[in-house]
Amino acid sequence: MPIDPGFAADLARELPAADYLRVLDLFRIDLTRLTGEIEAAAHAGQLETLRRAAHGMAGAAGAVGAGKLEAATRIVMRQKDADMDPAAIARDIRGLADHTLANIDAAIARAKAGGDAP
Amino acid sequence: MNAAPARILVVEDLAAQAELARIFLTSLGHDVQIAATATAAFDIARAWQPDGILLDIELPDYNGLELLKNLRQAGSDAVVVVVTATASMELAKQAIRGGAEDYVVKPYNRDRLGVTLRNALDKRGLDRTRRTLETALVDTRSRLDAAEVKLSRKSYAGFIGASPPMRAVYDILQGVAASKASVFVTGESGTGKELAAEALHKMSPRAPKQFVALNCGAIPRDLLESEVFGHVKGAFTGATADRMGAAKLADGGTLFLDEIGEMPLEMQVKLLRFVQTGTFTPVGSSRPEKVDVRFVCATNRDPMLEVEAGRFREDLYYRLYVVPVELPPLRARDSDVLLLAQHFLAVFSAEENKGFTAFAPDAEALLHAYSWPGNVRQLQNVVRNIVVLHQGTTVTAAMIPPPVNRALLHRAMVERATPQPAPPHPSPPNQSAPEPAALPPEPEAAPLPIPSPPPPAPPTPDMLRVDPEAEILPLAEMERRMVLAALLRTNADIPRAAALLQINPSTVYRKVSQWRKEGSLPEGFPI
Repeated sequence: MPIDPGFAADLARELPAADYLRVLDLFRIDLTRLTGEIEAAAHAGQLETLRRAAHGMAGAAGAVGAGKLEAATRIVMRQKDADMDPAAIARDIRGLADHTLANIDAAIARAKAGGDAP
Repeated sequence: MNAAPARILVVEDLAAQAELARIFLTSLGHDVQIAATATAAFDIARAWQPDGILLDIELPDYNGLELLKNLRQAGSDAVVVVVTATASMELAKQAIRGGAEDYVVKPYNRDRLGVTLRNALDKRGLDRTRRTLETALVDTRSRLDAAEVKLSRKSYAGFIGASPPMRAVYDILQGVAASKASVFVTGESGTGKELAAEALHKMSPRAPKQFVALNCGAIPRDLLESEVFGHVKGAFTGATADRMGAAKLADGGTLFLDEIGEMPLEMQVKLLRFVQTGTFTPVGSSRPEKVDVRFVCATNRDPMLEVEAGRFREDLYYRLYVVPVELPPLRARDSDVLLLAQHFLAVFSAEENKGFTAFAPDAEALLHAYSWPGNVRQLQNVVRNIVVLHQGTTVTAAMIPPPVNRALLHRAMVERATPQPAPPHPSPPNQSAPEPAALPPEPEAAPLPIPSPPPPAPPTPDMLRVDPEAEILPLAEMERRMVLAALLRTNADIPRAAALLQINPSTVYRKVSQWRKEGSLPEGFPI
């Protein structure tokens, strides 16, 4: 469940089509930006920056009901430096984020095609 | 569902979440601004003064809890609803402890956000109303307290007394003390005119400078100008050196001119110039001097009557009579008599090393019944007389000297002259009436130096008889008739008429003046 289908359905019901598409698009931009920030921090070995980016990603994932992505990033936030494997973290987050982004893309496509449900 | 429109600041770094909040809030009728960082949020909150803040705790620059603390410290009373993911519920609770009203969990929908925000805004509205009411209550309480203090005030700036006329005097003194306006104090002898002048000086910004009192009636006419304005060496025979006058001494302070009505007219001209310009020329000098003086004047006469009689310059009257303060006679101060008596008893007992602490009820009754033509000064002398001549802890009626004990004598005579009702049990005639021997003994010391009208003839039984058929008139009319009758009987000799009526001559002057203004003096009346 990379994105909460109930949440997306609620959004689709509540918002005018244009607003719904804009919000999904912004979710997509947020997730893309944060995934990139996590990867850059992991690559540079900047653990504190990595934690801060994971913090942001946790909020974004929580906001769209992406539970697995949120849980993974919260683990990163709490990890000690010694326990951190930045490369593995970047890889895991990328996988979960891509899955979520795909779901968002699908929802956007459905909305543009005239369907509501994700 | 829609709440009253409010200004809501959304503090959210995620663009999608911020946009979603904006869409929801706008659809609920609110005005929305968005801040992506805590720093931006703080600035917008200070400038825009939002009603509510939707606050994400996880912000890129610093924590939302810290932002909340900073906002509260900066005086923001915006209602704060914290936005949190389920995993940061503990943080949301911390935020509420830190001053947030409520929290909403991500992901939220429009209804959830609307209800949470409306409840929080309603609560803030109630809080504001409560605070407004509390402030009003505190304000009302403090004003009531101040009024209570004023009403219960038993002394003020050296005055003793809690009667309504004295409280009115206190109010005037307090109101005018800080001003430079000239004050004209009137009142019978012994009512405390100099005390009022001193009080004005002490409560004014001039208190650090001198209070100079000059009794215009006690200084020979030839010396008055020199006393007020000073003189230079050789100005007149005996002027062997320069001498500063009261005007110079009072520079920056207060000049109290007591008994101003006694000032000769030629001196009034010079005083007028001084009052108008603040400059004077010492006797024998040709060089004028300028000073900054506040004038307080006093008289026991009616100043307007003095003007009408040509004894006081009208232009000077209007220069000095800016703020009138009329000190009530003691007979108009009711309960103050006992308050003052108690005060003097404590002071004089301490001074004379005596043990008096109280007045017996019969002594209090005598003090209360007396008219005190010499006012507070007379009461002061009476109490000192008692303390000096007697021993004990309680002042009894027997210790009260004449003429204050006259009421006792009067009562004794009434009781002897009035037929006694049949007693319920047989008893010897006049048993209840006190014998003359029971009257309080007069002190052997010299009589008090109190100006007092001559004692009336002892009442005869005829005088004490009450005629039920007599015409009943309003008391004020009875008073007018009695005063006019006394004036006719004495060929308009006011002091003699006043003595007959046992009131102060100034009271007769005042009343006649008032009746003349009202047109209620009979035609051809000799005054």
